[in-house]
Amino acid sequence: MPELPDWFRPVAEYMLREGLPETIRLSVIAVTASLVVGILFGTLITIRFRPLQWLIRFYIELWRGLPILVTVLFIYWLPPYDVGPYHIQLNAYMSAAVALSLWGSAQVAEATRGAVQSITKEQHEAASALGFSWIGRHRFVILPQALRRLLPPMVGLLVNIIQNTTIAFVIGVNEFLQAGNRQFENLTTQTGDGHPISIFGFVMLVFFVICFPLTRLAAYLEKRLV
Amino acid sequence: MRILAAYDWTFIWDYRHEFWDGFKHTMKAGLLGIVLAYVIGLVLGAVRAYRIPLLSQLAAVYVELIRNTPILVQIFFLYYATPELGIHLEPFTVAWLSITIWGGAFMTENFRAGFEAVPARLREAGFALGFGPLKNFLNVTLPIGGRIALPSTINTAISVLKNTSLLLIIGYPELTYVANNIQALTFLVFEAFTVLAVYYLAIVWALSALIRFLERRLALPEAL
Repeated sequence: MPELPDWFRPVAEYMLREGLPETIRLSVIAVTASLVVGILFGTLITIRFRPLQWLIRFYIELWRGLPILVTVLFIYWLPPYDVGPYHIQLNAYMSAAVALSLWGSAQVAEATRGAVQSITKEQHEAASALGFSWIGRHRFVILPQALRRLLPPMVGLLVNIIQNTTIAFVIGVNEFLQAGNRQFENLTTQTGDGHPISIFGFVMLVFFVICFPLTRLAAYLEKRLV
Repeated sequence: MRILAAYDWTFIWDYRHEFWDGFKHTMKAGLLGIVLAYVIGLVLGAVRAYRIPLLSQLAAVYVELIRNTPILVQIFFLYYATPELGIHLEPFTVAWLSITIWGGAFMTENFRAGFEAVPARLREAGFALGFGPLKNFLNVTLPIGGRIALPSTINTAISVLKNTSLLLIIGYPELTYVANNIQALTFLVFEAFTVLAVYYLAIVWALSALIRFLERRLALPEAL
């Protein structure tokens, strides 16, 4: 095994200790919020009530249509505002989390709508015949089947969100790419050599190690479940 | 419309030329990236679908490497690491190159899936008609597989265009960069981003409508 240069160890340690946990935490928040909001909206849009359908459709097309960076910057730069009694002022970290969740929930909502509508009419009728209300029917019969079909695209979404947390770099969140960039800048000012190939190569490698197994898992689930 | 009237729309009108310039930069890098990504996707998609030894494995490595790392990191790598190799790239070069490399990987997957979805009996029919391998690809696999792949390739093209917004970090003066500067100069956050959103949504929604249209028009007959 080739010897690692002296400068590399502290740099990699800083990135893995300071940057990586932020990336993971941001991903977990965004994925959780995306799933909760997305599955709710994706189920609600299947109700035949036009104004609600239009509203959710607009939500989906808006946040899916905008580049995530645009949403991140917009939410970050928006001046503090009041919603009822609440004074809302988001820091960089929360802005990134909210923006990623808006995008992610739009993706989940669209996927959920497709999955819910792919469940046959007979399933709805059978559940109704058993005396289930709308909520019970969806909670116990429709969604358990639909969510199974959703599993592969949701693993794909997780990969996308993990990768897109790097966009939080732009507003100064100290996620993994930012941690690497700070070390690159430090080394450049201190020693004149920032080792960009090694540092950004290391950033790529770590993302690859996280995302590649998940992509394989998504492909495997796709084969197994469909 | 009291809410809308409370914002300063006349001010943002003064910046219409800046926005238009940003739009032109976005389209310049975006369209170049999309065209080149299609070229890469067609060639490597065929290489993958026909399992051409060595080339197919190399293409697979390229696809997996790009799909499993964030594009922002790829842009960083191109912008900051190439000078260490003695190559100095202009922001515009990094701009179109990075989104081309990213889009090419996704296009390769789209076309591979499209080509592989062409039923074997159609290719056999082509051979029976006396087509050689290349003619068979050009006359059978490409038109049918390309048609199957088309909607997903437009989706990738939309993503490539949206990814041009990330070029802000290397100082390439595209739409998002322009809007972000105007917002910093005037503090008209809501106005600047509304204009920006209208630009992006107009492009993205128009292309999405094109996908739906093509999906209807080009749907292959069920019997195939």
